[in-house]
Amino acid sequence: MAARMNRTRGTALIGSVVVALALSACGGESSAEAEGEGSGSTGNCAPEDITLVGQVRNQTNPYEAAWLAGGDAFAESVGLEQQKLTYDGDSQQQQEQIRQVLASGDASCTVINALPNGDSDTTPIVNAADSADAWLVTQWNKPADLDPTEYERWIAHLTYDGVESGYQIAKALFEEMGGSGGVIALQGILDTAAAQDRFLGLQKALEEYPDIELLDDQTADFDRATALEVTRTLLTQHGDKVGGVWAANDDMALGAVQALEAAGVDGVAVAGIDAVPEALEAIADGSMTATVSSDGPWQGAVGLAMGYCAATGELDVASIDADDRAFFAEQFLITEDNVQEFSDPQLDMSEFDCDSLFSRATGPIAAS
Amino acid sequence: MAGDTTPHAPTRSLEPAPLADAPAPGAGGGNGDAPGTTSGRARATRSADVVQTRASLIALAVLVVVFAAISPQFRTVGNLQQIIDAAAVLAVLATGITFVLLLGAIDLSLPGVIGACAMTVSLLVANSRNTQDLGLLGIGLTILLGAGFGLLSGVLSTRLRIPTFMTTLGMSAIGLGIATILFAGVRPVVLDEGLGAWAAHRIGGFTVMSLLAVAAVALGWAIQRWTRIGRYAAAIGGAEDIVLLSGVPVARYKTLAFGVAGAFYGLGAVMLTARLGSGVVEAGAGTDFAAITAAVIGGTLLSGGRGGVLQSMIGVLALTVLANGLILTGVSPYVQQAVQGVIVVLAVAVATWPVRRRLGVVK
Repeated sequence: MAARMNRTRGTALIGSVVVALALSACGGESSAEAEGEGSGSTGNCAPEDITLVGQVRNQTNPYEAAWLAGGDAFAESVGLEQQKLTYDGDSQQQQEQIRQVLASGDASCTVINALPNGDSDTTPIVNAADSADAWLVTQWNKPADLDPTEYERWIAHLTYDGVESGYQIAKALFEEMGGSGGVIALQGILDTAAAQDRFLGLQKALEEYPDIELLDDQTADFDRATALEVTRTLLTQHGDKVGGVWAANDDMALGAVQALEAAGVDGVAVAGIDAVPEALEAIADGSMTATVSSDGPWQGAVGLAMGYCAATGELDVASIDADDRAFFAEQFLITEDNVQEFSDPQLDMSEFDCDSLFSRATGPIAAS
Repeated sequence: MAGDTTPHAPTRSLEPAPLADAPAPGAGGGNGDAPGTTSGRARATRSADVVQTRASLIALAVLVVVFAAISPQFRTVGNLQQIIDAAAVLAVLATGITFVLLLGAIDLSLPGVIGACAMTVSLLVANSRNTQDLGLLGIGLTILLGAGFGLLSGVLSTRLRIPTFMTTLGMSAIGLGIATILFAGVRPVVLDEGLGAWAAHRIGGFTVMSLLAVAAVALGWAIQRWTRIGRYAAAIGGAEDIVLLSGVPVARYKTLAFGVAGAFYGLGAVMLTARLGSGVVEAGAGTDFAAITAAVIGGTLLSGGRGGVLQSMIGVLALTVLANGLILTGVSPYVQQAVQGVIVVLAVAVATWPVRRRLGVVK
């Protein structure tokens, strides 16, 4: 632990020296940087000079809409406004938006809370932010060998343990089925880490429940309409043997619920992941068994909060525990018992105080 | 297959030049009142269509026979109902896009038009977001909205002379934008029982939606067969310059064809919404290429002037049978997509094989 801290500090130190050299070489072109705001692991921006940027794929799904709403709520709590960017799942567009944000205004007082489109998109975002001295928090996607501790202003990367999510809903599903019976699995887009990890979690749970049989696993591309068709076809194939449907996200779970209703089948348990509002309603009325929440509003807010604290100097990035620079965040299993608490999520603003930003970290992202 | 083409060789030799029926007005069964038609050409075109339809049917039949041989579940009545239900939405969308493809134009506006219409209908009938409860009127308005999108695509393409590829792609973006605004972060859940029954209620083993789809396809076929919109669409796709010289207001009929297509997309969006149970912005994602693929497998060609609503339905069934059969025969999900792609290409090759010489230039 101590060694890690030292290395972090050492890296930060070397980093500052390099940046300082680079700056002197540039001959102080940028006045902001000459004033000393531009580099280092702590900022000294006035709160009103800070630009908060939240970037997600699109606003057409409840999860990302909730993420941006959380960012808005945090920005409002510090008297600022969040600049909301959506890139339609287009990697090129995402990079272009980052470049534009960094080119306009004072980059060293800019905070970006980004959802990179894919693992490989994180590297150019990090590099662009790093060379502009902007504060950056990334979520969900990052290549395994890219480490925030090697950067001064890439504050943190946070994601969720997909194996754990898949495992938790599988267990809830199997319990609902009384520990025996047949399940069908609806996988996400097969070449994504999220789909693979969640499915691993299901397999882990299957080992613990020998009387549960996995009848079939099919991909439904994380898509509701596809899931509906696939479920109906699987119902034709396996008929009464189907006692549960495990879905790698809520959209597919809701598609499965719709398929079960259309086929007039009762008593099949369905579980998904993401905790979209419709899934919560479905859990409340009993048509779904369980889902897992990553708490989108919190994700949208915490990234901006980390950047805000760092930019104002209240948080020294170099002093953050290395385990917290790339961490798994806590997720919540939602079932009939606790669904009411989640149906109207309220952000607890005390979670965004500069000294409690990492309270939801459950551990470092395991190097795989 | 070769045996299919030989009897028609004499017909073909009547043609002044080997490629002469590429610009063949009056395709789709024209019998003289379409401008510029000569009886010889009409007959040649019709026989080419018949040959090709036969080839498409063979491709579909091969799929059905193979899957039925491998999978006992595939050859059940329940699965037949499932296939018809699953094909319903694509059938309506493919009916619509057939009018555009007949023109020789392309339509990529489906994701946006469907997204906007799906949000609209879910907000107009009884839903969880607002107090509207227009019921059937809401559904009618949504279909009109779809037609409006289509007409706009048509007007932009014909009056501003922008290629349909671009106008419809732009229209898709506009539709998705409108849908996103209507979505406002919360999905409206459909509470309207009438609309919900489309997906849940069954008559004679088939869902209400399947029966509606059959009616819609029949209506589409009637429009194509008996109205000027349909007949001119095929003629324009065959030889636009000739049709124009004959004094037909080509721009108007093109626009109307787009409008008819849009109305079918609107209906498709209503059906998708009934099926999904709530308004989903991305409901139409990928439907543009699915509908185009279905039409082409059936023999409605991208070059225009050939095929029709019924031909496109062969493609719709082929695609649906394929998706269903691959799951039931236990093909691993990891290779399904690749297998699907290979079979689609093969099916198009089989479907167009007998008429490949008549296609002339393929772009």
